[in-house]
Amino acid sequence: MKRIKLSFFAPYMASIAVAFVGVQAHGQGHSLGGQPLGQEITLDSGAHGTSIISGSPVITNTPPAPIVSNALPPSPAVSSGTISETPLASGSYVGDLPIDGSVSGDTIDGGSIGGTFQGRSYGQPDLFFNFYSQGHSNQLNAQLYTSPGPVPPYVGNTFYTYQPFYPHEMLYWHKDKYHRYYDNGRGMNRTRATYYSPPVRQAISNVYWNYLRLPR
Amino acid sequence: MIRRIILATSLLTALAFTFSSNQASAGDPYGMTQVWAHNFAMDRPWHGNYYKQQYGQPLALIVPPTAHMRQTLSWGVSQNTIHPIYHQFGRSANSPGAAAPGSFRPTPPWPSHTDQFGVYYIRGPW
Repeated sequence: MKRIKLSFFAPYMASIAVAFVGVQAHGQGHSLGGQPLGQEITLDSGAHGTSIISGSPVITNTPPAPIVSNALPPSPAVSSGTISETPLASGSYVGDLPIDGSVSGDTIDGGSIGGTFQGRSYGQPDLFFNFYSQGHSNQLNAQLYTSPGPVPPYVGNTFYTYQPFYPHEMLYWHKDKYHRYYDNGRGMNRTRATYYSPPVRQAISNVYWNYLRLPR
Repeated sequence: MIRRIILATSLLTALAFTFSSNQASAGDPYGMTQVWAHNFAMDRPWHGNYYKQQYGQPLALIVPPTAHMRQTLSWGVSQNTIHPIYHQFGRSANSPGAAAPGSFRPTPPWPSHTDQFGVYYIRGPW
């Protein structure tokens, strides 16, 4: 009988072990159209702070300040006095349809400089929204995130504070990108999330749920 | 050698299951079924005529957005039917939020159809 080196098994043992763990760890989340994927998220978040200079260009004749030391970072060139803590326009995002011609998800900033052109737009999306049933024939509409159930408004509600962790993203295998705007939409943080299920674990889970499980 | 063959066979079987069950079926490169489902969802309700016992309203059960069909079971020959799942959760908040009491029927004492339990599927948002 020929001995097989352990190094030959080593790359497979990891996956087989993961697969058995996956069978045991699979809960009762059986839903229609396939099982929910193993909830593994890979986040690749990087701050891509694009420093966008806003508003009306203010040309000043003041000479640039003398450079004292090279160690100091350059000060952001937002000295035109248009930074406000409140958003420049309230994000009145009510639906999928764009409002007065603006790009959906953005708010149009100003446009009051000359009145003849459209101002710069900054992303001010509503980050933590809910989802609702769509259509015109519903006698009632369902919202996606109600826990434990539809409650009157004075009870209050909870919401997820981080978009990539929304549970409905865990339902299927996909990749997604999330953009978080800060500094009144002048900066943007891009997060890439990969919702992935290990193939071997998913395969064994499928075999279990589709062939081995007693239907009850 | 035999072990190696068995191992390779099992791995190939696992891979075959993986790619046969998880690979998205192509054939709709422009997403036309999305448009059809959206159009169908616009003029028909997501719910049936029965309410869920615990809530007094029909209950929307979220399914993955990649789910396509639902199956209903009932008594009798040719009563087990499958239908597309047209509805999908979206951003627009619609009214009315809840129906008036008495708008829906309760589950009968002897249910004869799976729709009578008051649970209806809506696909999750993309």
